[in-house]
Amino acid sequence: MRIPIVRRVLVLALVAVAAASMAVLMAQAPPNTTKPVAPTLTDTDAAIKAAAELAKREAAMKNFTPARTPWGDPDLRGVYLTATYTPLQRPPELANKPLYTEEEAVAAFKRAVEADAEVDPRTVHYDWKEYSMDAWQGGARPNLRTSLIVDPPDGRLPPVTPEAQQRREAAQAAAKKRNPAAGILTFGNTYTRCVLGLGAIPLMRGGNPGAESAAAAAGVTAEVQIFQSPGYVTLVMQSNNDVRIIPLDGRPHVSDRIRHWFGDSRGRWDGNTLVVETTNFNDRRPAVNFQGATDALKVVERFTSIAPNTMRYEYTMTDPKTWTRPWSVDAEMPRVEPNLIYEFACHEQNYGLINVVTGTQIREREALAAGRPTGGGGGRGGE
Amino acid sequence: MSKRSIGLLAVAGIVVAAALWFTVAVPGQGSSSGVARTEDGKPNLNGIWQSFTTANWNVEAHSAEAGPRPEIMGAYGAQPGGMSIIVDGDGTIPYKPEALAERDTNFKSRMIPKITNDPSRFDSGDPELQCFRPGVPRANYMPFPFQIFQDQNQILVVYEYKWSMRQIHIDPQMEAPVDSWMGWSNGKWEGDTLVVDVRGFNGYSWFDRAGNYATDMLHVVERWTPQGPNHMTYEATIEDPNVFTRPWKISFPVYRRLEPNVQLVEFNCVPFVEQLLYDPLGLYFPPGTRPDEDR
Repeated sequence: MRIPIVRRVLVLALVAVAAASMAVLMAQAPPNTTKPVAPTLTDTDAAIKAAAELAKREAAMKNFTPARTPWGDPDLRGVYLTATYTPLQRPPELANKPLYTEEEAVAAFKRAVEADAEVDPRTVHYDWKEYSMDAWQGGARPNLRTSLIVDPPDGRLPPVTPEAQQRREAAQAAAKKRNPAAGILTFGNTYTRCVLGLGAIPLMRGGNPGAESAAAAAGVTAEVQIFQSPGYVTLVMQSNNDVRIIPLDGRPHVSDRIRHWFGDSRGRWDGNTLVVETTNFNDRRPAVNFQGATDALKVVERFTSIAPNTMRYEYTMTDPKTWTRPWSVDAEMPRVEPNLIYEFACHEQNYGLINVVTGTQIREREALAAGRPTGGGGGRGGE
Repeated sequence: MSKRSIGLLAVAGIVVAAALWFTVAVPGQGSSSGVARTEDGKPNLNGIWQSFTTANWNVEAHSAEAGPRPEIMGAYGAQPGGMSIIVDGDGTIPYKPEALAERDTNFKSRMIPKITNDPSRFDSGDPELQCFRPGVPRANYMPFPFQIFQDQNQILVVYEYKWSMRQIHIDPQMEAPVDSWMGWSNGKWEGDTLVVDVRGFNGYSWFDRAGNYATDMLHVVERWTPQGPNHMTYEATIEDPNVFTRPWKISFPVYRRLEPNVQLVEFNCVPFVEQLLYDPLGLYFPPGTRPDEDR
């Protein structure tokens, strides 16, 4: 029972947190126009058909060469969708199947789209699709891969180190000791606290099932703008307006003493591919870093424009304090319009956090008075 | 020496001469000398910039004073004195009388954030204290650097304070689709001056720690004019018929940060204000975990 309650409360928080962006997204249509609503926003079959056709058309582009910016860099400029229905890890029932056939990929996409579009009022308090915030409305496409992870070859996260195992156990023990537990830091996570958005690094984290964040899986404000200027690539996220500044001039990383929420990124061109190495991450305790990583994390990302509307996005995660070996993802981000990012003032109006933590404290007091378990730590660490 | 290598040397000489000519001549072309140019001949504003005024304490002229909570903050928290950045009239903001009274109320309550789940929370306390977005023009004279990323059709400005950003839309331009803290910026080049029209404010931001403010009718026209390779003149005309009797103008120089290793260092201040904002509501320390509570 604990998990559904937590999830429901979290969804409520996300609703409140996203209120600003809802208004913003609804305002995307230019004022005073009566443009008819695209069928791909209202009809799942139309969306599936269009996505499958676009995926096929883009995949058929061979030897695509991106244009150049006026100062001569490969042109990656645009806004891309980071939501996907492909899970980070391969589901156990597909253990020996890294790739779907085209028909299977469309069928899997259809199942995910329909599950996403269907709302069960008992478990979901907020219907994202009313605001065109389901991933299928935002331009998600079928994927031949059965998981985002391509290495290890079984499509699963590698085993954690004994040190990471001890960390997890200690965190669980600490959560049990806190009782009652709800406070901003112990219940909220970096996303509900508006410290960070849905994932500025890495940008794509996988969809249902097993997504780290329901909102991420749903495709809520899952856009990144790749902004280029001489000597720099800058990533501007719609979610929380997170910004990652990536210098391309070959300068060394900042001092080990400087720690950033988004890490310290350095980029270079490998042919038409932008390669970005990021280190110097913060330790986010009491919240956890992505997939339980520590501040020893190193992320190497590769951005390649492989078709007019498709960015290939690969990354490799290395953290010797957490995983017994590095692991890698190979994904695609569809280009979406328009080419701009709206303000996402999350912390400025975070009523959701106030209400959710207050409500949780009330529930905990009730449970305590009735002699029921209060549910321990409550707060899920992920973003 | 063969004819071929003499030819090569001659070509190399021409290349070197041309390169020298370009490095010397290109920055000098145009009206203001030493201004770097982009491929399309516009002033190249890319870089990390900062202004050095005390206007974030008060855009009007002000003496040095003890700061808030002098009993614990001492000289750390004290306000430095400084000149007005207002360059027209008598250097003060032309408030309507009732708006001036509101400014004084703001000042008195600048350290009292009233965090409730009702929308009036924004009317209490300085937004900066609470790690809210600073708005325009305040972002440009906060004591933090900011970085300009210049593409031909869009310019991105990232401010170190709160890691807040704004996009200046050159082509296409749009009306503000929704009100916001940082406003909606449309830009155009007038000669070597980048002129930015900013509207669509939500009316919650302040100009400084002294409580100077505007409403959602605020309209700011900024003029960024390079004066050489390493400094610009920033000028902004500010109007808001709700609170001011006439438009008024501020101006100050903005300098390029020249340290070879300079880069913005994230200032994500949300975690720095959570205790301030949420502890009075009993939400910061889970019940029974307050450090000053009996165990």
